Amino acid sequence: MRCLLFGWAGLRGGLLLLLGLGAARAQQLPAASAAPLDSAQLTRRQHQLGEVRVRAVGPERFAVGSQKIELDSAVLAQYRGATLADVLQARTPLALKSYGPGQLATIALRGTSAQHTAVLWNGLNIMLPTLGQNDFSLLPVGANTRVAVQPGPAAALYGSGAVGGAVLLNTDPDWRPGFRGSVQADAGSFGLAGGSLEARTATPAVAVRVAASYRQAQNNYSYVLREARGPVRYTLQNAALRHQWSISPDVAWRVGSAGELTAAAWLTDADREIQSGVNVAGSQARERDQSRRLVLGYRHVAARQQWAVRGAWFEDVLNYRDGGAPSNSRVRTTQAQAEHTAALGPRGSLRLGAEAQHFAALVGGYGTEQVTENRAAAFALLRYDPRPALRLSANLRQAVLPAGLAPLTPTVGLEWDLLPAQPDSLTQSLNHSVTVKASAARSYRAPTLNERFWLPGGNPLLRPESGLGYEAGLRHRVALQPGTALETELTAFRQDVDDWVQWLPSASTGIWSPRNLRQVRSQGLEASTALRLRWRHYVGGVQLAYHFTDTRKIQGSAADSDPVGVQLAFVPRHQASVSTDHRWRGWLLSGTYVFSSFRYINASGTNFLPATGLLGATLGRTLRGPAGTSLLVLLQGTNLLNLAYDSYPSRPAPPRAVSASLRLGWR
Amino acid sequence: MKKQFVPFLAALALLAACDPQGTIDTPAPAATTGVFILSEGQFGAGDGAVSVFDKATKAVTLDAFSSANSGAKLGDVVQNMGVQGSRGYIVVNASKKIEVVNLPDFKTAGTITGLDQPRYFTATSATRGYVTEWRGPYTGYLPGVLSILDLSTNTVASRVTVGRNPEQPLALGGKVYVPNSLDNTISVVDEATGTLSSTITVADGPSSMVADKDGNIWVLCSGFVTYLSAPPYTARVSNGALVRFSPNSPATQFKLTFPATSGPSKLRINPAKDQLYYSFGGAEYQLSTTATALPTAPFIRRSFSGFAIDPRDNTVFGGISPSYNSNGRFIRYQASGAAIDSFDVKVGPNGFLFY
Repeated sequence: MRCLLFGWAGLRGGLLLLLGLGAARAQQLPAASAAPLDSAQLTRRQHQLGEVRVRAVGPERFAVGSQKIELDSAVLAQYRGATLADVLQARTPLALKSYGPGQLATIALRGTSAQHTAVLWNGLNIMLPTLGQNDFSLLPVGANTRVAVQPGPAAALYGSGAVGGAVLLNTDPDWRPGFRGSVQADAGSFGLAGGSLEARTATPAVAVRVAASYRQAQNNYSYVLREARGPVRYTLQNAALRHQWSISPDVAWRVGSAGELTAAAWLTDADREIQSGVNVAGSQARERDQSRRLVLGYRHVAARQQWAVRGAWFEDVLNYRDGGAPSNSRVRTTQAQAEHTAALGPRGSLRLGAEAQHFAALVGGYGTEQVTENRAAAFALLRYDPRPALRLSANLRQAVLPAGLAPLTPTVGLEWDLLPAQPDSLTQSLNHSVTVKASAARSYRAPTLNERFWLPGGNPLLRPESGLGYEAGLRHRVALQPGTALETELTAFRQDVDDWVQWLPSASTGIWSPRNLRQVRSQGLEASTALRLRWRHYVGGVQLAYHFTDTRKIQGSAADSDPVGVQLAFVPRHQASVSTDHRWRGWLLSGTYVFSSFRYINASGTNFLPATGLLGATLGRTLRGPAGTSLLVLLQGTNLLNLAYDSYPSRPAPPRAVSASLRLGWR
Repeated sequence: MKKQFVPFLAALALLAACDPQGTIDTPAPAATTGVFILSEGQFGAGDGAVSVFDKATKAVTLDAFSSANSGAKLGDVVQNMGVQGSRGYIVVNASKKIEVVNLPDFKTAGTITGLDQPRYFTATSATRGYVTEWRGPYTGYLPGVLSILDLSTNTVASRVTVGRNPEQPLALGGKVYVPNSLDNTISVVDEATGTLSSTITVADGPSSMVADKDGNIWVLCSGFVTYLSAPPYTARVSNGALVRFSPNSPATQFKLTFPATSGPSKLRINPAKDQLYYSFGGAEYQLSTTATALPTAPFIRRSFSGFAIDPRDNTVFGGISPSYNSNGRFIRYQASGAAIDSFDVKVGPNGFLFY
């Protein structure tokens, strides 16, 4: 069947979907009484500085008008033995390009490339400096307490790479007094085995947390390859995750009444066999990835102002071997950040800050000498709320790169409550709130070390890529009855990336070299709706999300032969996810379904990976024991429809798989 | 609660039916108008292909093997193809195999396995074939082999160790000449005994060979380069050379040396076997077999990833690989070098065969 849902026709498909959501919502409006609003959602948006209760202000305070996808802690707890790639693929409609279970997985936020999503850990950029991207299979979920994705350009806030968006990982201190901890053991299909532990304790002055995890998997599942003699069943070779460790201790110490000293570390180590395409015979590629990340920070939080300094030291090792001599790399990154935030009257706050990074790379591909690079940036972030219902932000960042100044990256944002919430309403009417939001931003991506120093071909004169994006949308909330709320968000975006870097061979020498060649435009629509329910012992919810992403090269230099106007490879036009969670007494039941439309596998737009729909489910039972102990039994199933598909060309994805976890907790 | 999401699920079902339609294949061309175009494919994706172009109808079947064999993929890095009688032998480098097909319909006739890094195929009879294979990892290549194939059983009959990185073998007068592209030698294997009979020293990097109308062998040597850590990043260790010798007196050689600006590759000869073609510095050059100096002006100012001349009508075919991330195409030229037309094929077209 020739499908008609392309381009704007595709968008109509999306709108159709939204109508569906509307219908769902309309059916969900019983006569309801007033309900308290979800305080967690709102306090983030409310003005904190100048109030009696003083809290540290996160950078998201200055991201007015942009969308944020936050994975809640209950979801993170379900996936704590898994990687960020697993949880994002199961729970969000975000496009990840994955080479298989445990293999390289990169994100394409809003139709951009893997290098266009900044990943920040406790506010520090942890993108691999050589490749300028992150492998989401190397980031275990349990190491962090908070995981959020902010789509859209936000370089003014987050620096280089925040072109398509940013992934924010944080380990927040838990000041609840006493000791709590848990140990977990996991086992599953295809040789999956693992374990994890988490322990926290706090006194009024000190909070300590340690999380650690281990995982291994054979990934020796079978797949069918269609050969000339007919279909032949094979077992996947050279795809094992030999081991994956993660240890992340952190400590926070209150100094005096306004000071807080924090120290955090995150050590990861993965030894993987690298799965080749199934048509490549006898590959024995292996990769060892090790990252050591340390950060030390001090924060002073007073009523009218706060300041913070942070120093960090990272070491990233990536050693690859495929038959021949190994290709090794080691990069050491030293970073420092300082910022000062002051209240501007009762309605505004201004943050001024600066940061510097020093990279020292010993990479086989750069020759035998160590290569160094320095980058620095200064930023000013302004938040101003003329009225409680109207919130504005305006930010500016200027980075200095070795090849000159990066583009100046301003951001402006607005949120306006058209229909403000009535927190104390005692009426019987439904409590609706509607917020309009909009933002515009410039962004940049500094050239990676590989792009500048690789031999042969590295281009020291490469300019940073620059992005310009706009988004606007609506957020609607309705409290239906006590404990029941429906929140719907609709965002339309458009963004251009200019000077997009592409590696191409030189006509005369044949040497591949990166050049600033093209302009890429992505535009789309993101819709989500979440229903939260609470009734006696039952807590549950349903989240639906749909993303329409149209991303194309719109202009290129003569040397850039990739066609104009074709949807970029590995970015599905339509992605949708449904997840539903239900808890009742000690029981837990979750289901997820993620749909991706077809994805082209190269720039020509002819060959593609077909659409996939993946169903997953989790069943859990918590048993309370004596003295604050508890035992959780968790059963998880993935690809329950047993769909045979390739996650990447010639990389068969796992068939239906199950895993079981046992968690013993104290509190 | 669940039924409220029925419209959503219905919309998903609608989207799922949204995959683009596959291409429609055309019937195999008549046996005198077919051109096979070899495309390496994207590495790792297993989508290397042989496209079939029918000169009479100008129709292109993009992946003839897959179309003829219920969707089976040919494999990774389609390197070379040879024809013996009505059989085609497709060398698939990273899949370490030769797919044997019936021509012209490309229906499978077996697979030759047990190979490692196979490169180029040639055959001298319906039962005797040869394939060169590299040995060792890319960081330390070892002497390669010429594998002698029994085409009646599609198996490797025996192996002869030759030099490092052996390329396109040339069968001539009861001997098989193998250029060792990481050395400076040609290994000569005796067809009757299946053993190494001699080694001819030429210049650095012999990679392609042709025989001319007088029975002389021409060897194109690419020369060697090394990579530096500072501009201009490459340094030429040895210049390219075009070497001619008679099989009867291989030590007596006529040699034309290329400038150091680039390395030559892809030596071809016209059907009359009196005009040579090679690529150098991003252009294609033509040279008479009687020339005493290299030409200075190119024949076609264009860089080709594959180049061949149709022996039936002297039409020139050039393969274009813009990148390994997008489909390639081929351009047809008149014998004069004037372009005729071009057609899209798959990623990385590197060779042509006329059948």
